[in-house]
Amino acid sequence: MSAANLIEANDLVKTYISRKGLFGTATHVRAVDGVTLSVAPATTLGIVGESGSGKSTTGRLLLGLEEPTEGQVQFDGKPMPQLKSTAWRELRARMQLVFQDPLAALDRRIPIGTQVGEPLDIHAVGSDKERQDRVETLLQSVGLRRDQAGSYPHELSGGQRQRVVIARAIATNPDLLVCDEPVSALDVSIQAQVINLLRDLQETRGIAMAFISHDLKVVRNISDRVAVMYLGRIVEEAASKDIFRRPLHPYTQALVSSVPVPGTALKDRIILQGEPPNPAARPSGCAFHPRCSLATERCRVEVPAFVTVEAGRKAACHLVPAASEN
Amino acid sequence: MLRFFLIRALRAFMTIVLVVTFAFVVLRMSGDPALIIMGPEAPPEAIVAFRKAWGLDQPIWIQYLSYFGAIMGGDLGISMRDGQSAISLVMDRIPATLQLTVPALILKLLIGIPSGVYAALHRDSAVDRTVMAGAVIGFTMPSFVFGLILVLLFSVTWGLLPSGGRDSWMHAILPIVTMSIGGAGILARFSRSAMIEILGQPYMRTASAKGLPWRRVIWEHAFPNAAIPIVTITGFMVGTLIAGAVVVESLFSWPGIGRLLVVSVSNRDLAVVQCILLMVAATMVISNFVVDILYGYLDPRLRNNQARH
Amino acid sequence: MANIAQSAPAIGTTQKMKKKRRFPIFVAIGVVWIVAMVVIALTADWIRPYSITSMDLRNRLSMIGNPAHMLGTDELGRDVLSRLIESIRISLMIAFGATLISAFVGTTLGFLAANFRGIVEQLVLMLADFQAAMPFLIMSLAVLAFFGSSLTLLICLMGFYGWERYARIARGLAIAASGQGYASAVTQLGAKPSRVYLKHILPNIASTLIVSMTLTFPEIILMESSLSFLGLGVQPPMTSLGNMVGYGREYLTRAPWIMLAPSFVIMLTTLSISIVGDWLRDKLDPTI
Repeated sequence: MSAANLIEANDLVKTYISRKGLFGTATHVRAVDGVTLSVAPATTLGIVGESGSGKSTTGRLLLGLEEPTEGQVQFDGKPMPQLKSTAWRELRARMQLVFQDPLAALDRRIPIGTQVGEPLDIHAVGSDKERQDRVETLLQSVGLRRDQAGSYPHELSGGQRQRVVIARAIATNPDLLVCDEPVSALDVSIQAQVINLLRDLQETRGIAMAFISHDLKVVRNISDRVAVMYLGRIVEEAASKDIFRRPLHPYTQALVSSVPVPGTALKDRIILQGEPPNPAARPSGCAFHPRCSLATERCRVEVPAFVTVEAGRKAACHLVPAASEN
Repeated sequence: MLRFFLIRALRAFMTIVLVVTFAFVVLRMSGDPALIIMGPEAPPEAIVAFRKAWGLDQPIWIQYLSYFGAIMGGDLGISMRDGQSAISLVMDRIPATLQLTVPALILKLLIGIPSGVYAALHRDSAVDRTVMAGAVIGFTMPSFVFGLILVLLFSVTWGLLPSGGRDSWMHAILPIVTMSIGGAGILARFSRSAMIEILGQPYMRTASAKGLPWRRVIWEHAFPNAAIPIVTITGFMVGTLIAGAVVVESLFSWPGIGRLLVVSVSNRDLAVVQCILLMVAATMVISNFVVDILYGYLDPRLRNNQARH
Repeated sequence: MANIAQSAPAIGTTQKMKKKRRFPIFVAIGVVWIVAMVVIALTADWIRPYSITSMDLRNRLSMIGNPAHMLGTDELGRDVLSRLIESIRISLMIAFGATLISAFVGTTLGFLAANFRGIVEQLVLMLADFQAAMPFLIMSLAVLAFFGSSLTLLICLMGFYGWERYARIARGLAIAASGQGYASAVTQLGAKPSRVYLKHILPNIASTLIVSMTLTFPEIILMESSLSFLGLGVQPPMTSLGNMVGYGREYLTRAPWIMLAPSFVIMLTTLSISIVGDWLRDKLDPTI
C-alpha cells in the first residue's frame, strides 16, 4: 500500500502559548497532538473535524507554513525546509494552498489575470509571452473566460473568485494542493461546481490533495481516503467508502449519522452530548470520552493509541481492538 | 487593577528614560560637551576639570549612567548666563507660566466643550456653523498670528490692553486669550464629533424609546460616554499648552519658562535647555499617567477587565 | 437648553448630503490656492520683482499699492512682495521635504515592525509612543539649541514630525493584511517579503498614507513658522513665512502689512490643505 508517499507527517505536535497580558500566566494549547498521516501522489486525503479539532493547523503544518513543535513533515522524501527560507520558497512551486475566503486571498487592486500569473512571475517560469499564454490556458481550465483576465476580484462572484484562487494555485503545476475549507464560503449550488472542478484537475493533472473541511458531504465526494480529527488527534483513518459505510470510532459514527442521504429521512442520528471540544481544556485520557455514550473507565484514564484495526484502516479507540488482537 | 497601574507606571518610567537618553545623545552628538557648556573661551584647566567632574574621560556607558544618576539626583548644571543653578532658574519661572497656562486651560475647556456639545445638539443651526468656522480658524491660524492681531486691535488701535510684560493682571489677558483659542477650537470640533457619534448610537434611541425625557437621556447617557474621549484629548492638550506657552510668552514678553527656553536656545545655554526639557517630559508623563488612570476609571469596560494588550 | 427636544429628530438624519454639496466649492478654491502657491514656489526666482536683500532706501516703509512695491516695503526698503514670494518658496520647500522624509521613515519603520514583530516591533512602538507624547516644539528647540539652525538640519528636524502616525498606520494595515489576507497568500506563493510589501501592501495603503500627509503638511508649516517666528528656525538672510511675521512684529504700529501678508498666506495655505485633505479622505474611504 505504501507506494512512495508524496507527503508524510509523523507525530506532528503543535503547541501554541497564549498569555494574558504581559505578566499573565501562560497556557499551552496543543492544537495538534501527535498526528501521523500521509498522502499518496494523485490521491485525495480528506481531513474532517469540528472547529478546534486542529485540522487547519495540520494543513498549515503540511505545507510548512508553521513549524511543528515536535515531529516532522517529509515532502517527496526530503524534510520540509524552514519557513520562509529560500528552499521553502522554491518548494512553493510544488505545493500550494487554496483558501477559505477567496476575496481575502486576492489583492483587490490587481486584475485577476495578473494575480493568476504571479506565481509564474515569482518562480521565473517561462518568458513574458509564455506566461501570458499560460494564464489564459489556466483561466480556461478553471472554467473562466479569457477576457475576464482584466477583471478585478470584486467584480466576480464568489464561485468565480475561488476559481481564480485555484487557477493561481495550479499555475506552477504543483504536486500537492492543500485546500482549507475551500467551499465553505460559497453557495451550495456553487460548491458542487468547484468540487467537480477540483476533481477534474486532479484527474487531468495528477495533483495530490489534502482536503480539509468540516462538511462530511463535501469530503465524501472528493476524497479517496478520509482522516477524522478530534481535539488535535486523528481518531480514525480509512478509505472514504469504508468510513461512510461502516464507521468504527464513536465520533465518526456520530458524524456519519448526521449526513443526510438524498431521498430518505435522517434516521438513527446520534446526537453528541457535552461541550464542544476546547483545545485549551483537554479532557484526560481519550479526549472524546466526556461526549461518548460508550465511554468506559479505561477511556477516562488512558489515551488510546492510533493503530491499524483492519487492512488499510486505523483508529484510536479502546473499544476498537487493534488488528493483531483479532 | 494593580496590574493596570503597574503597566502604566512602567510605561511612564520608560518615557522618562527615553527622554534622558535623548538629551544625552543629543548632547554628545553636538560636540564636546565640555566646550559647549563651559564655552569656547574657558581656560584649558577649567575644561579638563569639567571633563573630570563629568566623567568625560570614562567609557560612554559609564558616562551615561552617571549622567542618569546626576539627573535623578537633581543636579542639572549651571546656567551659562548668570551662574545660577539651572534648576533654580527654571523653578523661579514656573509661577509665571502657571499664571498663564492654568487660566488658559480652564478657558479652553469652558469655551470649547460646551460650544462643541451645543453645536452637536443643534446641528446645522447658526451656532453650529459659527462653532465650526471658529474651530477651523482656531487650528489654521498660528497662535502668534492671533496674538499679534489681538495686539494690533486691542493695544495699538484701541489702546485698551497692554501688549507686553507682566506688570499687572491686565497684562495677562491677551496672552491667556491667545493661548486658549487654538485649543478651544480643537476641543469644540472634537466634542462636537464625539457627541454626534454618540447621539447616533443605538442605545440613545433605546433610551429615548424607553420614555425617558430627552434631557435626561442626554445627561445620563450621552455625556458620560462623551466624557471618555474628551478626557483623553484634554490630556493631550497639556502638551500643546506647554508648546503654546513658548510662543505666547515670547510674543508678549512674559517672563515664564517658555520665554526662558527660547532665550536659552538662542544663547546655547544648554544646562537650562536640558533642565526645561526634562521638566516638560516629567509633566507630560505625569499628565498622561493621570489621563490613563482617569480613563481606566471612566470606562467601565476597562474597570472590570484586567489590563488588555 | 430649551431646544434639546428639537434635536431629537437629528438622530439618524444624514447631514452628509448637505456637506457634499458644500464641499466642492471650498475644495475647488482650496485646490486653486494650493496650485497657486506651488506655482509661486517653483517660479519664485523669475516672478520676484526684486531680490530679497535689495534695499530701496528712498522708499522705506512705503504703503501697499505703491506701484513700485505692490505690498509695500519694510524699514530697510526691502520689497515685501518679493520677500513674500521667497518665503512661500522656502516654507513650502521645508514642509514638502519634511513631509516626504517623515512619510518615508514612518512607513518603513511601520513595515519593519509588522514584518519582524517581536523586539523590533516593541522598539518601534515605544519610539512612536515617545514621539507622540512629547510636544514636538520643545524637542525641536532642544535639538536646535544643541546643533544650531542650518537649513538642512531644519528640514531633517521637521522630517521627524509625525512619523509615528505613518508608522502606526503602516504597521496596523500591514499586520491586518498579513493575517488571512492577500499578503499571506502571496507569501504562500513563494514571494519574498520585499515583493509582498512593495507590490501589494504599499499600493493598498497608499491612499491612507496620502491622506495622512495632507494632515501633517499644514502642521509642519505651522511648526516651522512658529520656530522661525521665534528666531530659531530659518535664519536671515533667508526668509520664511514665520520669519517675516517675526520681523513684522517690530513694525506692527507703523506697517502692519509686513506681518499681515505672510500671516494671511499661512492661514489660507493650511486651510486649503486641510479642506482638500478632508475631502480626499471622504472620497477615498466612504466607510469612515
